[in-house]
Amino acid sequence: MSEQRRNPANPVALPGKDEGTASERLVADSVLGGMPADSATIQEAAITAMTASGRARKRAKLGVAAWLAIFWMGLLVFCAVFASLLPLADPISSTDAAAIGKGSSADHIMGVDSIGRDLLSRVVFGIRASLEIGVGSVAIGFVVGGFLGLVGGYFKGRLGSLIAGLLDTLLAFPALILALAIVAFLGQSTLNITIALAIVATPILARISRASALSWSEREFVLAARAQGAKHFRIIWREIFPNVLPAMLSIAVLGIAVAIVAEGGLSVLGVGVKLPTPSWGNIIQGGLPDIRTAPNIVLFPSMVIFLTVLSLNYLGDVVRARFDVRESGL
Amino acid sequence: MSLHTFAQKVLQLVVVLLVVTFFSFCLIKLIPGDPVSKIIPFGTNLQKAQLRRDLGLDTSFISQYLTWLRDILTGDFGRYYNNNASVSSQLTKSLPVSLELMVYAQVFAMLFAIPLGILTAYRSGSKFDGATNTIAFGLLALPNFVLAIILAVYVGAKWKLLPTQSTLDPFPLSPIDNWRYMLMPTIALAVGQIAVYLRLLRSDMIATLQEDFITTAKAKGIPNRKILLKHALRPSSLTLLTVAGLNVGALIGGAVVIEVIFGLPGLGYRIYQAILAREYVALQSYVALIAIAYVLVNFAVDVLYSVLDPRIRHVRAAA
Repeated sequence: MSEQRRNPANPVALPGKDEGTASERLVADSVLGGMPADSATIQEAAITAMTASGRARKRAKLGVAAWLAIFWMGLLVFCAVFASLLPLADPISSTDAAAIGKGSSADHIMGVDSIGRDLLSRVVFGIRASLEIGVGSVAIGFVVGGFLGLVGGYFKGRLGSLIAGLLDTLLAFPALILALAIVAFLGQSTLNITIALAIVATPILARISRASALSWSEREFVLAARAQGAKHFRIIWREIFPNVLPAMLSIAVLGIAVAIVAEGGLSVLGVGVKLPTPSWGNIIQGGLPDIRTAPNIVLFPSMVIFLTVLSLNYLGDVVRARFDVRESGL
Repeated sequence: MSLHTFAQKVLQLVVVLLVVTFFSFCLIKLIPGDPVSKIIPFGTNLQKAQLRRDLGLDTSFISQYLTWLRDILTGDFGRYYNNNASVSSQLTKSLPVSLELMVYAQVFAMLFAIPLGILTAYRSGSKFDGATNTIAFGLLALPNFVLAIILAVYVGAKWKLLPTQSTLDPFPLSPIDNWRYMLMPTIALAVGQIAVYLRLLRSDMIATLQEDFITTAKAKGIPNRKILLKHALRPSSLTLLTVAGLNVGALIGGAVVIEVIFGLPGLGYRIYQAILAREYVALQSYVALIAIAYVLVNFAVDVLYSVLDPRIRHVRAAA
């Protein structure tokens, strides 16, 4: 996340980059799809449609890697929802003492943890906590940060600078330390971890939406809407927000990955999801003492985290490339 | 930078510092219920009354904050309640270890990122470039604690090449032993940064190599090596240096986890111990110190940045 934020000039080569699928198309899409056609927006759409057709663009197809990433995330969501219907041992109560320290076997594909619980089952049930925290914290950050950013970017006066100051101050804390401190003092629970990470995510997403809203609110179609007497709320919601959305989405997707990793880090520090509820982080933490005799306990969930972060990073980049989110100025 | 903008920045700095310390101060208020009975659940009534007075719980909120801030600023970071040790005595022992780790990690990351960044930019589009980028993308997805664990399992435990779990107190040993204990934590912390720096330098370098002065240099017959190292690297490295400075925040967070995995007795390890032992006062001081240090580093980088390249400052201001 920090890389995104602090890196104003990073035209990093993106996988599957579709050269110049520009923001014009985005405007045309969002304007024509679902918006009431007032004259200003139609005019804007016509202009953008002309320039777009002039350059003969087409949507790049999603590559194999993108589909693999989508498949992996879909699999995780499916397993999280239907975990209790899958043919898995109970992740908390059922133990198999004979399998401890034996590694992978036919009965236990990933082996068992230090007290004999099936590791696959714990990892699968652990998706729930990890995704809840990852998606939950980013969703809160998305709504709160997005709102603050839009308002701060649109109203440039005193309100804008107040919001900017508030965001800068929140960003002045090193992220993991802030989350760590909040959870340590508030008490460790899935909800508190989600709140702590949401507090970390909010200023980052707000900054993106503010920077984006700042530049979009200068555009002619916003001026036109204002000239027609549209209310502030309507302008923000209908004219600016749809354009700010792609930049926020790509950062949000990356943010989920960061939050999942952060949960792992918090767990290693002993303030992750509370046992016996499994999360990827606390499975790893539980395996640390037996790392020499049973490395599988630590390695399998680590691998799952790696694949998930890889998928999310890739998807975040795909979103960014598709919507041609320029990072300059963000 | 004009004096006026500098004064403005300093003023901002002071405000941010006040707010950041205020947040840190408020942390102790987050403890659900009575903080005193959480900090010393088995203390006698006398001890509890003493702690209540130490924390200033019987005075107003603002005066509690001001007292606390004054203590922090004068180097009184409170003490541990289990053994009465002062936080500052722990700090003088653990801070150097953490700083050492972070400096090593930055240097290590740069040692790999700069040559690779130059090469991939020079040969952009080649197989080597593609492979390096793919690997860098993979490394970005590798959480540093996962890498740390893998290193600890294989290099440390299985192959016994390097020691893990030092927790030696005091830490600094002979230089060679010191390095042996530092090498794996450094690698674990640095690898993710290599990927970040590499991608950054590569993209800036590619942009620079398309500039007119590079064409001129080529036309003059200056050898490639010299063009890359002398002409292109310097203007391309500004963003890299800034990001490296700002990345200190991410490094601090990462270092905490890494220190715990490898048992390095640095600041992060102390924080971990403070969490486990419910030493809230010490924990609060550590968090405040890290936040203050981070704000100061950010400030220094910001100032340095505008001093180094006024051109970039204007671009930034326009954006």
